[in-house]
Amino acid sequence: MWKEIGDRESGKLRPNSFITRIRSNRVSSLQLSNHKEIVSPHRGAINSLQVDLTEGRYLLSGASDASLAVYDIQRATDYDGGGLIAKHKPILLVDKQHQNGHKFAISTAIWYPIDTGLFVTGSYDHHVNVWDTNTTQVVMDFKMPGKVYRTAMSSLATSHMLIATATEDVQVRLCDMASGAFSHTLSGHRDGIMAVEWSTSSEWVLVTGGCDGAIRLWDIRRAGCFSVLDQSHSQLGRRPPLLERSTTKVSTSKCSLPGQTSSAKARAPQRKGSSGSGSKHSGSSRILRHAKGSAKQRLHPGLLSSQDRATAHYGAAFDVWTGKASMTLHGHYEHVNCCWYGAHDQELYTGGNDRQILIWSPPKLISEDVDEGDRRTGQPLAVDQDNWSD
Amino acid sequence: MEWEADDRKAVVVGLIEKATNSIKPDLDPRILKSIKSVVRHSDSELRLAAENLMSLMKRDHSQVRYLTLAIIHELFMRSKLFRALIVENLDQLLTLSVGFRRNQPLPAPPAIASKLRSKAIEFLERWNSTFGIHYRQLRLGHDYLKNTLRFQFPNLQANAARVQQERRERELRTKEILLKKYELLKSNFSSIKDEVNSIVDEISECLDILITSKEDNLPLDPIDEEDVDEFRGVELRRIRDNSLKEADKVQENSENKVVFDALRELYKLLVTKHIVAVQESVSVLVRVELSDNRLRDSMLKEFIDIRNHLKSIKKKCEEAGCALTNPADEGEEDIWEEGASESFDISTSSTPNKQSEDHANKRNDSPECSNSKTINVIGKVEDPEVCGTDLNPLKSKLMVEAPVMKWGSFLDNWGSNRDFMANQRGLELDGHWGRVDHDATIPANKIAELNVQAVVYEEEHKEIQQCGAPLKKGGFCQRKDLKVCPFHGPIVARDDEGTPNDAVSMDDEKPDLKLFSMDELLKQAVNNVREMDKEAMKKREYDKKELKRAKLAKVRGHNEAVLRDAALASTSGSSSIGDLEGREKDSLAKMLKKRTTAKDRLARRLLSRKATAKELNLGEDHSKYREAFPNQW
Repeated sequence: MWKEIGDRESGKLRPNSFITRIRSNRVSSLQLSNHKEIVSPHRGAINSLQVDLTEGRYLLSGASDASLAVYDIQRATDYDGGGLIAKHKPILLVDKQHQNGHKFAISTAIWYPIDTGLFVTGSYDHHVNVWDTNTTQVVMDFKMPGKVYRTAMSSLATSHMLIATATEDVQVRLCDMASGAFSHTLSGHRDGIMAVEWSTSSEWVLVTGGCDGAIRLWDIRRAGCFSVLDQSHSQLGRRPPLLERSTTKVSTSKCSLPGQTSSAKARAPQRKGSSGSGSKHSGSSRILRHAKGSAKQRLHPGLLSSQDRATAHYGAAFDVWTGKASMTLHGHYEHVNCCWYGAHDQELYTGGNDRQILIWSPPKLISEDVDEGDRRTGQPLAVDQDNWSD
Repeated sequence: MEWEADDRKAVVVGLIEKATNSIKPDLDPRILKSIKSVVRHSDSELRLAAENLMSLMKRDHSQVRYLTLAIIHELFMRSKLFRALIVENLDQLLTLSVGFRRNQPLPAPPAIASKLRSKAIEFLERWNSTFGIHYRQLRLGHDYLKNTLRFQFPNLQANAARVQQERRERELRTKEILLKKYELLKSNFSSIKDEVNSIVDEISECLDILITSKEDNLPLDPIDEEDVDEFRGVELRRIRDNSLKEADKVQENSENKVVFDALRELYKLLVTKHIVAVQESVSVLVRVELSDNRLRDSMLKEFIDIRNHLKSIKKKCEEAGCALTNPADEGEEDIWEEGASESFDISTSSTPNKQSEDHANKRNDSPECSNSKTINVIGKVEDPEVCGTDLNPLKSKLMVEAPVMKWGSFLDNWGSNRDFMANQRGLELDGHWGRVDHDATIPANKIAELNVQAVVYEEEHKEIQQCGAPLKKGGFCQRKDLKVCPFHGPIVARDDEGTPNDAVSMDDEKPDLKLFSMDELLKQAVNNVREMDKEAMKKREYDKKELKRAKLAKVRGHNEAVLRDAALASTSGSSSIGDLEGREKDSLAKMLKKRTTAKDRLARRLLSRKATAKELNLGEDHSKYREAFPNQW
């Protein structure tokens, strides 16, 4: 690290690559953070996590007990253990008691990409709600024909404000926030749609993955999809053979991507027989990630930066380039449903069935540790040292 | 170098292996200590140990896991590196020790599995309370088990805190009470002092009176003093002193009785009330905690003075002859003692004589000599010394050879030839049952018939021997049966080790016997074989197959044994612990097997028969019913 700083000082190293190197160094040393924790108010599995894209400060979480919460991840609300542990309590909590709250599990909660004043939630009670963050009221409500599995908004869009929703229904619906109506209905999938994501290269391109085992790419300006990645056309992608897997449950849960490059999401083909209408996102999905990585590479090779895409699922982080697991993070006690990578400070947030939101961060610098040590000395707490009595 | 490392490796792994390979409920402290000392000095060893312990936790045996967990706990509380290593895989460790995942339950045996679980939870709590702040994983695991899975934690810390709190409250309360007492004391101080002073004055007045009266009675003292000089011997002198002191005491008489009574009264008051009260207030003053100690100190000083004063007065009173328990009691005691000694005298001196005289008379009258003998002996037994002195030599000789008889009512009229009145009570019995002859007598021989000595048959007391056969779990069979122990056969004399004495004697000639028996056995075997051959001739084709099968089974068994031995030899680190390990493994494996108890066997038998019978019946009934009413379900 010091060498790199020296190189940068002498101008050998360009600023971008310097940043990249530092970042990748930090990312490669991710571990469970001891000094920062989120106090989860949820009493059910966490289904969705997202940090807002504008400030990188507010974490939105949706859980299966129909509650959603917003945390300030930059400023702790509380300290524990003599300032050693920063606790982040929710600054906003909506649960079933709320008059506009969802009735059933919230499957997706995303920020409005331009601003933190709005966020969108989708739930199993067939509704997609658009919330005003400041007043905690629903400002818009879309009734869907089935359970909502995923919603997505394009971070590039300048000419539209469409919420793409993946539901139990076979059609992908685009909800227009400006008018409060469905602007598009994209037909093509033959079964429920589990996932949806906008392309990060074009504001018109949408990628969806369904229970029928197909990934479809749509250009919303034209009718129909322009490309299908189907399990039967296996020559299309360098996808690994899914049949080898022993784990039957396949997840298309959120892949967290670096904010600035969040590419179009590759959909892992769902095995229909296994997950059915796939209400549960679970399972460890090493090969799934692998599939996603390769598909992504194929789709948007030019957009991928040299960074690791750390995506955690059941504590596994993967390198997109190689498609191999670069590390495995053990922390959750049950299945991990969702994760989000905060590129700003290289932190990874994961939420799982065990109702916890864990923060994975690079280890603190030594100077900070020393500082803490000084603070800690005033404490009667046990110091973490060797203690051999005999 | 590498070689050495390998050698070392074997050390810690072998130690852990040895420690966990036991069926005891606890770790061997010696092995644990050696593990600790090995691990303490090298990090690589510690890593190895952590790895090894984690792999041991995966064993399919709760006992192994339990002991492993105990080692992990020991190291966890001590080494930072070990903590870091363990915490990385904490979820795995908890899965294996708590067994909270449904698809990975704890292995058999269930009793130890439940112990393992509770211990693991307890350990986790301790770890969390001690090191939780440094390890997020610990907090997570604790939180998950506690809040999500709702495991019952022993809550040691909270309990301890509660106990502490209670104690503190109690102390606070006692302090308050003390303070109150102190305040009370402060307000009452003067009055207490007055009271004490008044009683002290009264007592001293009483004493004065007594002393003045005594001085009148003591003109002899100087002479006594001179007398004392004459007694050179220390002992004598002391005795003299004591007697003088006794003499110093004022004797109670009719003149000073009133004074004595008053003194006694006052003394009682002093002892029971004032000294106690003063003592208590002193203790209050000592225990109370105040911001300003000066007043307390002065009060304490005064109280101590008062107490000492009171004590000295008490002593004086006692010297003057009124201990609280004394005058009346002592007098009574004396009287009683005298009475006792007198009665003793009477009993010792007069009664035996009388008795012996009686006996002598009776002997003369008695028809049978043996009877008189017994009576004499009774007398002798009762108080031989006294009797022996005034008995003539003939009598004593007779008494020596006389049999001892037990006492009974027949002795009352022993040898008497008198006739007895039938109605000796003098009751008027007329009118109810007709005429009564008041002068009716019962002749002596009738009386003798009625008063025959009754002897209760007494069984000869015989110690029933214990069975004494050695038990498997150690110790000997404690059953007491007359002849045959239901578990160990006939009861025979056994030596200290529990082997029958006959067997011991047999052991002495063991080789011969063995040879003999071997020969016999061989002969028997040959005979058997011949017989079998004969039989085999009869039904050869049938037996042949069986023989073959038996042979094959034998060969297989042998092969297996050899293989097992080989495996044992290759796995065990050193040959010295080889057989031990083998045995232990056997026992560990044994723990896994469910032991079939008598209850199980009974249940199996009962249930199987009854259940099947019932089921059959039920089925029959049902089918009958169905046939009868085909339209009903």
